[in-house]
This record gives sequence, structure tokens and C-alpha cells, in this order.
Amino acid sequence: MAILKTENITMKFGGITAVSDFTMELEKNKIIGLIGPNGAGKTTAFNVITGVYKPTSGHIFYNKENITGIKPHNITKLGIARTFQNIRLFKELSVLENVLIANHLRLKSNPFSAVVNTPNYVRQEKHMIEKSLALLEEVDLIDVKDEKSFSLPYGYQRRLEIARALATEPKVLLLDEPAAGMNPQESNQLMEFIIKIRDKFDLSIFMIEHHMQVVMGVCEKIYVLDHGITIAQGTPHEIQNNPRVIEAYLGVE
Amino acid sequence: MEIKEFLQHLVNGISLGSLYALLAIGYTLVYGILRLINFAHGDIFMISTYAGFYLMSSAILPWWIAFLLAIILTCILGILVEKAAYRPLRDAPRISLLISSIGMSYLIENLAIVFFGGRPKTFPIPAIFDRIITIGSVKIPTLSFIIPVITIIILAILLHIVHNTKTGMAMRAVSTDYEAARLMAIDVNKIITFTFAVGSTLAAVGGIMWGMKYPSLIPLMGVMPGIKCFIAAVVGGIGNIRGAVLGGFILGLGEIMLVAFMPALSGYRDAFAFILLIFILLAKPTGLMGKNLAEKV
Amino acid sequence: MKKKKIILSLIAIILFFSLLFILNSVFNSHQTRILRLCGIYVVLALSLNLINGFTGQFSLGTAGFMAIGAYTSAILTMPPAQKASAYYLEPIVPWLADIEMSFLPALIIAGLISALIGFIVAAPVLRLRDDYLAIATLGFSEIIRVVITNLQNITNGSLGLKGLPNYTNVWWSWGVAVVCIIFMALLINSSYGRALKAIREDEIAAEAMGINLFRNKLFAFTVSSFMAGVGGALLGHLMGTIDPLMFRFTLTYNILLIVVVGGIGSITGSVISGVIVTVAMEALRIVDGNIDLGFMVIKGIPGMRMVIFSILLMVIILFFRRGIMGTNEFSWKWILESKLFKKRKEVA
Ligand SMILES: Nc1ncnc2c1ncn2[C@@H]1O[C@H](COP(=O)(O)OP(=O)(O)O)[C@@H](O)[C@H]1O
Ligand SMILES: [Mg+2]
Repeated sequence: MAILKTENITMKFGGITAVSDFTMELEKNKIIGLIGPNGAGKTTAFNVITGVYKPTSGHIFYNKENITGIKPHNITKLGIARTFQNIRLFKELSVLENVLIANHLRLKSNPFSAVVNTPNYVRQEKHMIEKSLALLEEVDLIDVKDEKSFSLPYGYQRRLEIARALATEPKVLLLDEPAAGMNPQESNQLMEFIIKIRDKFDLSIFMIEHHMQVVMGVCEKIYVLDHGITIAQGTPHEIQNNPRVIEAYLGVE
Repeated sequence: MEIKEFLQHLVNGISLGSLYALLAIGYTLVYGILRLINFAHGDIFMISTYAGFYLMSSAILPWWIAFLLAIILTCILGILVEKAAYRPLRDAPRISLLISSIGMSYLIENLAIVFFGGRPKTFPIPAIFDRIITIGSVKIPTLSFIIPVITIIILAILLHIVHNTKTGMAMRAVSTDYEAARLMAIDVNKIITFTFAVGSTLAAVGGIMWGMKYPSLIPLMGVMPGIKCFIAAVVGGIGNIRGAVLGGFILGLGEIMLVAFMPALSGYRDAFAFILLIFILLAKPTGLMGKNLAEKV
Repeated sequence: MKKKKIILSLIAIILFFSLLFILNSVFNSHQTRILRLCGIYVVLALSLNLINGFTGQFSLGTAGFMAIGAYTSAILTMPPAQKASAYYLEPIVPWLADIEMSFLPALIIAGLISALIGFIVAAPVLRLRDDYLAIATLGFSEIIRVVITNLQNITNGSLGLKGLPNYTNVWWSWGVAVVCIIFMALLINSSYGRALKAIREDEIAAEAMGINLFRNKLFAFTVSSFMAGVGGALLGHLMGTIDPLMFRFTLTYNILLIVVVGGIGSITGSVISGVIVTVAMEALRIVDGNIDLGFMVIKGIPGMRMVIFSILLMVIILFFRRGIMGTNEFSWKWILESKLFKKRKEVA
């Protein structure tokens, strides 16, 4: 069963059509990919799915529920989390705080209970901290938990972005170029890491990636965008041998 | 209301609208390039009226030299404000820039209080502007004609500069995409200086005409027109010169007509602009003539 | 550790109030007035810092909300006879004419009305960002003033109100300030405080983490309005006289100065700077008047004081952008772990 599905989503900005008629399906517990040259509309597709932009036309379904036009925070609450291509951490805050913030959406309390420290709030806060520490342990960031996030090395920042997304307790994870700026060895580690979290957190993953090695390695299905248009879809093998893709994408690399 | 009275209000509204338009252009140009409300713009406008006042009061200079000098001085002040308060913060968070602009505005106001005194001063109007024309039974001061005419001439010159000169095109390039313009080897700082010079010059022309139309000068006189004209720029579509002019006229006419048709609300005249702002931002956040741009993520 | 911190905090509060008691008895009336002002400005700085520093929403409406608080509390506490004589242009509306209550409920109602209006104002303006928000809130603050000037039979219009009961003593001023400090510290360190800080750091990322931007901003704005209203009420009962001109936007600028000097996004900074700037503002009054050195008199320049303060604001923002504290806070942990303390332990 498809956990995430889009039907003919189109996104226009003034005169530009960034994404046109994009239809995709993500099966539960699968990892699929989205590729295409720069400016193809990949990030825009993510932005539409996560509610940052309301699509000009088309629909998005999550577990058969139509989520088109829902606000981003509610989409996250439903179980779709994302990372950003251009890393958007809470820079001045610590690594631990970054993860704690992503727990906030599951808190069942109110500011005044928090201020007077009601037992209910204190219990939940304690649980949040434990959970966040465990997660940081999982992604190997526990040693830097008190550092301000902007001071981390680049690779750590990418991992923290993923950890933060995981903390929202998603069912679907959207990764926007997680391997950007990594060398082949780091990308390989990342590949293993992605598969590991998929299994551990019971996730379905939709990722944008430029590193062919990563995409071909982990994705079972790939969509190819060029100028907003879906020019191909299929297994890594099919994509690799598709002449249109080679022309549009692999050719320019 | 008689037609005669209505005409008088209309003429009044048009000349107030012209003054607002001149001031609004400065906001729209600077916002277009730096994404900053130049809070000091209204105070630069205030300084121009005082400069005009002191130069005129010296009674040595013919009026037109006094006015010209006042405009030049104001233009220099505008450039200095940018160099001192905004240039050092080019890479700082936007909020620092905003605070710096508030600080600059506050500084100019407080300096004006110290040097010009808090008591109102009366702007000396050159005799040739101080006439009244009678058309039928309608009496209209010459100024009410001169103000819109000068505004239109200046606007034509400005649009010519922006659309047909190299500097003007560079201005538009910087305003469309700051980074790309920088990469294309446009000297962004020079363009910004030029923008402040133009904005301040227009504010000064407006300020001197304002002084003749509303001759009572006080150090905080720039604040309300300043805020209102930023609103005019937003209403018209920020970054858009024609939009700023449109916004200025809507505001000027709107205010005058509000007072004319609903005298009971005349106390709320200054609130009109803000209510208009809220409505516009809710109905069409990009303003009447602005382009629709979502933030890139 | 947590128990220890609470005990240390309690001791600190007791010591602080003992100090206030001593200062209050040794200071002359001019000096205690400054002391009372300090407490009020701490409250106001915290109010502005909550929305600007912690939530990252650049609001400039403080003066307007102060006006609401000051007028509400003034009307609620002035004796009916005094109101009857004060409103001589137009009598006060009957439903307000006979109200007279004590300070605490008046103060709370002042805060609540201010918060309510903040809540209503927030709905449209919080859709705006940065500069637009700044202009819109500044605008609202001025509209509030215009409305107050025009509601002759409620606020006495431009005549203002004179002879408000002189309630704001050192205990009220600093009592409220301490409550606000504790409230802010607890709020900011809670999950809700972290949500606000996330919004400040990056709205789009915060939203992607499931944080409801509008609701959180609305909350911060409303609480900030409440505190501004209470601060305004305290100020009114210290001055004894209020009128619409007192609550011009320049008042907001002064509070902004305190926040910037202390550090945008630091409670500790706002408290320290609230005291320093207030004392300095009063101390510098001498530059406005003549200074008599015995052998010569330096002629004062009226208004020079505010010039100095606006230059200070510029210098801080241009050269010391982080202010005194940046976004750092005082903490017991930091004190206990500082070198000085460790050494002593070793000796012992
Ligand atoms: N908010 C926006 N406003 C205008 N154009 C946009 C916006 N977001 C994206 N675009 C445009 O849409 C196109 C696709 O961009 P994007 O989705 O970021 O590409 P990709 O992620 O595939 O590199 C680009 O031409 C980009 O300039
Ligand atoms: Mg992209």
C-alpha cells in the first residue's frame, strides 16, 4: 500500500512552472529517489508535499488521506518529516536543544503548566530529554550534545538534521540531498545509515540525491525530473539505461 | 457638500498625495535594494525643511539658491547616514540593520531637538509661491498647482534615469537579485549610495514644498509622514516606483477626503494609513502593483 | 543539583529584598524614585525581549500597550470624587464613574485588558514579518494613542489624568519585576520557550518540526502585551500623571535601547541593562540642566541626554552587537563551576 502519493501536482511561481504534473507513489518501508539536474524542481516538489507551498493544482495523499493545502506543522504532526538541502538548523541553539524542539509537537501540556512545573509536564519533559539523548546516541552525536549547532562540522550538521527530523516521530522521511558535499566514503556510510534508520524506525523514505552511487545503491525506484517534468521513472537499472535521462542528466554531469 | 468645496478638497488631496509620493519613492528604492525600512528617511525629510528654513531666514540668498543648497545638504546627509549606519552592517542579521535604522532616526530627531529647539518654527514662503488663484468662486493657492507639477516632472526624470541609463539599470539589477548583481561585477556599494542620494533628494524637494504648504516646523515633524509614506510604498507594492506614487496619492486623497466627508472622524486621521496598511497586507500582501514572490526554501 | 539551585535562588531573592529594604531606608526620595523606575523598566525590557529577543518578531508596540495598562489602572483606582473634577470637559461615562478598587486587582485587570487588545491586534499583524511587523505594531501603538486622545469621556482625552494614587513603591515595582524575571526564566527554559527560540532561529525549520508558528507567536505577543500593560500601570502610579503624549513611540525606543544594551534574547541582560540604563538616564539629566562647578557654570543643553542615548544605541548596534550578555544567561551551574569556586573547594 502506498503511504505517500501525489497526483499530478503542479507548482507555478509567476511565469515559471517549477513542477508540472508530478505523480509519485511511495510504498511502505521502501526507499525511493528523486533525481534531476539543478533547478529541475525537486526541492519544490518536497516543499509542496510538506505544505510549504500550496500546489497550483493536484493532490497529495498520506495513507489515503488528502493532505493538500494542510499547514506544514500539521503535516509533520501527521508523520511526514523532512531535512533541508541548505541545512536549516537552529544555529544558536545546542545540539540537544535542536532535537528537543522536534519533540515539542508531541507534548500534551500548556505553557502555564510548564512554567509552574506540574508533575505531568515534568514527566513529559524528562521523557523528552531521555528520548533525545537516546536518539543522539543512535546517530553518534552524543559527544557534542552541548555544542551550538552552527559550530559543528558540516557532516555532523547533516546528521543532526536527520536526527531532528527523526525526533518528530515520522512515518515518512523526506531527505533533500543528504549526501551533498560528502566524499565517496562518507556517502557510503550515509547509505548504510539511511538503511539502518529505515529499519529501526519503520520508515518509508523519499530522497533527493545527486550522488548516483547513493541513489543507485539504496533506492528501489527512481523518479527523474527535468524542468519540472517527469521524464522517467523506474528501477535504478532502467534509469541508468534510459536515453532521455542520460541526455538530460547524466550527460551534463 | 458643494462642488466648490469638493474641488478644494480634491486639489488639497492631490498636493498632499504628491508630497507623500515623493517621500514614498525614497522608501521604495531603499527597500527594493537593502530590504530595509530606512526609519531615518522621515527625519532626513525633516532636516531638509529646517535647512530650507535657516538658509531662507539668513535672507542673503535668493530663494532658489537657498532651496537648492538645502536639497544638496539633505542629499549629502542621506549618503552619510547610509555610510555610517547601514554599510557596516551589510552582512549582519536584518534585525541589527533595522535597529540601526531606528537608532539613526532617533539620533537625528534628538539632535534636531537640541539644535533647532522644540518650539515650532515658521517656514518663510517666497512671495512668488504665496499667491492665490481664483477660478470662478473657487480660491486655490498657487502652491497646490506647483506641487503636483513639480512632482510629475521629477517623476518623469526619475523613471528616465531608472529605465534608460546605465546606473538606473544597475539599480534595477541590484534590486532584483543582489547576489547576482554582485557577481556581475556591478559595484553594489556605489549603487546603494546613488539610491540614497536619489531618495534623499526627492525627500528634500518634498520637504521644502511641505514647508511652504504646512509652514510650522518641529523636530518630530518627519515621523508621521515618514511612517505613512512607508505604508504608501507598501500599499503600492514595495520596490515599485509607480506603485509608491500610486500609494502616496491614495493616502493623501484618502486622508483629506476622510476628514472632509466624515468630520467626526477627523481625530482619527493619522489612523487611516495604518488601517489601510492592515487591509492591503491581508488582501494583497504584495501591494497593488507588486509582483507575487514566495520566499524560496 | 535541581534542589540546590532552587535553594540558592530562594536565598538570592531573600538577600535581594533585604538589600532593597536597606536601600529604601537610606535613599532619599529622589533616589528611591530611580530605584522604583529601575524595577519598572526591567519589566518593560522583559516584555519587549520576549517578543523581539526570544521569539524573533520585531514588534514596536510596547508604548501603546503601556498606555492601555496605565489608563486602565488609573481609571480603576482614582476615587470617584477626583474623577468627577478631573473630567471637566466631558464627564466620565457613568459605568466607570463610581469604580474604585485597590491596586492589585487594578494592576491585574490592566495587564489583562492590555493582553486582550494585544491578542486582537496580533491576529492580523503577526502574519507580517520583520520590518512590516515593526511598522504595523508601531502603527497600532500610535493608533492606541490616537484613540485614547479621542475618547474624551473615558480617558479625559488630551488633558490626561492627574493625581493617580501613588501606589508604586519599591516593593510593588521590584515585586512585579522579580515575578516577571522568574516567570520568564521558567518559560524560556521550558519546551514552550524552546519553541519560541526555534521560531526566532528559523521559522521555516521550526514549522517543519511541527511547531505552530501562529499560535506560539500569538502566545508570546499576548504575554508580552500583558507585561507591558502592567509596566505601564506601574509607571502611571509612579508618575502620578499620565497623558497620551507620554506614550509616544520614543518610549518604545528607550526600552529597545535597554534590550539591545543588555543583549537581544537574554533575561539577565535585560535586568542588568534595565538598571544601568535607567540609572544612567536619570544621572545624565544633569547634562540637560546647568552644571555648577562652583567656580564656573557649564551651560546645560536641553535634550542632550537623549542625544547621548541615541549615540549609545548606535555604538552598541554597530560595534558591540551582542550587548552585555548576547544570548547568554546567568546560571548557578556557571557560578558553581567557575574557577573561583572550584579553588575554594580544593582549599576546603
Ligand atoms: N519560491 C520560489 N519563487 C520563485 N521561483 C522559485 C521558488 N522556489 C523555486 N523556484 C524556482 O523553481 C525552479 C526549481 O527549483 P528547485 O525546486 O529548487 O530545483 P532543484 O531542487 O531541483 O534544484 C527553479 O527555477 C527555481 O528558481
Ligand atoms: Mg534542490
